[in-house]
Amino acid sequence: MKTIYNFKMILAAVATTFVVVSCNKDIENLEVLKPLQPTSLDENAENWASVNNDSRDVTLAKIVNAAEATANPKIFDPANDLTTVQDVNSTAYKAELASLAALQKNLTGAQKKAIEYWSCGGVLRWNQILRGLVAKYNLPPAPKGDGSYPVPDAENPFGDPNFPFANPPYASRSYAYVSVAQYEALKAAWHYMYVYERPAPYDVPNSGVQSLMPETDLPAYPSYDAVLSGVTAEVLKMLFPAAVEDITKLAAEQRNAALWGGRATSSDIAKGLALGKAVASLMADRARNDRMGTAGGNKALWDGLAQTATDQGEEPWISLETPKRPPMLPFFGLRKAGCTNCGVKTWIMTDDDIMNNRPIPPPSTSSAEMKAEVDEVKWYSTHLTRERLAIVHKWADGVNTHTPAGHWNDIMTEYVRDASWSEVRAARAYALLNMTMHEAAVACWDTKFFYFNPRPCQLDASIKTATGVPNFPAFTSGHSTFSGSAAAILSYLFPQGEEYFVEEAQEASYSRLYGGIHYRYDVEKGYQHGLVVGGFVQNFAENDGADD
Amino acid sequence: MTKPLLVFLLAVCSHAVFSQNLTDGLMMKKNLFCTGLMYSNDQWEDYWEGDLERNNGNIGTITTQTLMWGGTYGITDKINVIAMVPYMKIDASQGTLHEMKGLQDLSIGVKYNFFKKNFTQSAFNAFGVFNFSTPLSDYTPDFFPLSLGTHTTNLSYRLTANFKLEQGWFVNASGAYTWRSNTTLDREGYWDGDEYILSDEVKMPNVFDVFVSLGYLKGPLQAELEYIQMNTLGGSDITRQGMPFVSNRMNFIKTGALIMYYPHFVKNLAVRTSYHTTLAGRNVGKSNTFMIGALYTFNFSKQQ
Repeated sequence: MKTIYNFKMILAAVATTFVVVSCNKDIENLEVLKPLQPTSLDENAENWASVNNDSRDVTLAKIVNAAEATANPKIFDPANDLTTVQDVNSTAYKAELASLAALQKNLTGAQKKAIEYWSCGGVLRWNQILRGLVAKYNLPPAPKGDGSYPVPDAENPFGDPNFPFANPPYASRSYAYVSVAQYEALKAAWHYMYVYERPAPYDVPNSGVQSLMPETDLPAYPSYDAVLSGVTAEVLKMLFPAAVEDITKLAAEQRNAALWGGRATSSDIAKGLALGKAVASLMADRARNDRMGTAGGNKALWDGLAQTATDQGEEPWISLETPKRPPMLPFFGLRKAGCTNCGVKTWIMTDDDIMNNRPIPPPSTSSAEMKAEVDEVKWYSTHLTRERLAIVHKWADGVNTHTPAGHWNDIMTEYVRDASWSEVRAARAYALLNMTMHEAAVACWDTKFFYFNPRPCQLDASIKTATGVPNFPAFTSGHSTFSGSAAAILSYLFPQGEEYFVEEAQEASYSRLYGGIHYRYDVEKGYQHGLVVGGFVQNFAENDGADD
Repeated sequence: MTKPLLVFLLAVCSHAVFSQNLTDGLMMKKNLFCTGLMYSNDQWEDYWEGDLERNNGNIGTITTQTLMWGGTYGITDKINVIAMVPYMKIDASQGTLHEMKGLQDLSIGVKYNFFKKNFTQSAFNAFGVFNFSTPLSDYTPDFFPLSLGTHTTNLSYRLTANFKLEQGWFVNASGAYTWRSNTTLDREGYWDGDEYILSDEVKMPNVFDVFVSLGYLKGPLQAELEYIQMNTLGGSDITRQGMPFVSNRMNFIKTGALIMYYPHFVKNLAVRTSYHTTLAGRNVGKSNTFMIGALYTFNFSKQQ
């Protein structure tokens, strides 16, 4: 009898458990985007200043020239096609509207989902997608049998290793190219939208077209969604060629969402796509000539860096990986007096700016001061708490992640979303942040390879780390430089968040000390350096006309 | 099977690695409590990155040492409760990565001998086991291969069949489906091997395992050969040259042997040892595991 009683208890327990099991495993998206209803149309965005340091930088004048003079056939020809485009009663345009109205009557679930997916605005959505691409391709090549490491090959992006290895400098540069290209393309779109002033299909009387995204008074020709799809897809295919299939599908879906959503007709979209591609082509010309191709260097150059440190009586950095891996992009940043073709091209800072603001040397590797720095790292290594481990992992941003630059894009995204800015103003924010991150990468990599300072684990092999040791010199901390510069530009863009940005940036910086991979000196000097870098971009932003 | 022998069989603790108490065909008699400590040492140098067997100079050999307390109590002759608490320490012989140590997961199982059939010289038993496990400490699931575990709450549903002969030979087969809760990382985005997820929560695939043993159990000696297979029902492979990720598809096939012996000079004490080796795997280490432990059985019957 008692046994039966127990058996019933077990049955009850098992039944209860099944209720628990039936709860699903859907996970909460921590970055939900919402349909964009811009608070301002930013009609004058075409006047906002572009970066214009040399002939390869992309300005509105250059884009207009490409669209109206160089392109064959011309993409735009306002002198001749203005009246035609503006005539909403033309047979051709009416046919477009009719076909769109008919199409909207039979939208499938997948089509409605695409409209919803893109209604947050392409700038925000592409930024999410870009962070995912960086994470996917942020994988260091595996060593070959002979202990050497293959170099990712842009001509064979699907091989092992994939191209690119989207490490922090490469990622920073990628974020900057995508963001600046989007920004310049949207300013050009705004220019032409207000030249032609063709209304959105849903604003044309009796068009029968509904808006399935938030309505605005923005003109529709060219479609800014299509401009974004074209410029972003082309730049992404250049930076992440192995992702061509995903990129192409997403870009097509964005254009379709604009069409299905009633925001653009097929001719609006065709012009937008052509304009976006034209801007991408100008940007590609800059990218092909920005010296990224020589940032890896070669054995003789790497040995030269070590020799320079040795000659100055310092212990040079060595790779702590097995087998030893060549340093990560040693010539990405390094500037030298009199060398005009050193390091990857910057956006805002000049070569002199980079060199003049380089942090003063770290303590000598043989000094008592450095010994104290090492001892402090050792203390954090042996006193690793769960709280500090969580901070280290929150900010690790290592292999298979969006990198520190991506982390700051992630942080800014909620602010841009909540600001409900127009697409062009959102693009400005990402362009400013990502030019900052790029300059931070250049300035920090310049410092790292100028001093070639060893990591704590190299000076004391008993130090154990709570995350992987990055394969490049210690001084200064990249995380600190990225974070300091990001906090500076974000505090300019979103003053209400300043306290939070600074707290996060400080936490990101010290996470590297807690993790045992940086000295306090690297962290604090890097953070200060980052603030200086951010100041250069802030100075540009304050004078670009967007806040007038 | 003679009555005294049966009583003796039921009175002993069973398997080597204590968790195998969940998979074997033995029961504790009512009011008996078997408890003990087991130490295991698990090492691997080669591991499978997806299907690719390789080693990695940045970690060298990974060693997991576990000290586990286990206890089985007979609520009735047919219902046992089995509990386990492991303390673990995991380190890498090369590279710079920090060791991880601490209490892992509390496991509590209920085993029910729901079917029993005696023949003239043999017996067949069937068992259902429900097991619950949940983390006992705030260890990170985001530092594989050094993480103590997945930091998930798990619910297992197990069925076991056991056939034994009076001479002592037996065969035992067990299979379980384990539901695993999601796990949470200290970061708000991650690459799961297939896509970038904007969350700190990781969707964890469920697990299926099979355990088969063939052995001899009579008098003071228990000896058996074991086959263990675990398959994760989903998840991605370790990315090329990447770190393992908590939701990877971790599969393995292991084989091993166990010996338990009751020394005649101490009543109710058992010593046991086992060795297991990994034959095949995916996203796991090719490990060899040695275990040794001692168990003692207390009798809480009022009659005694």
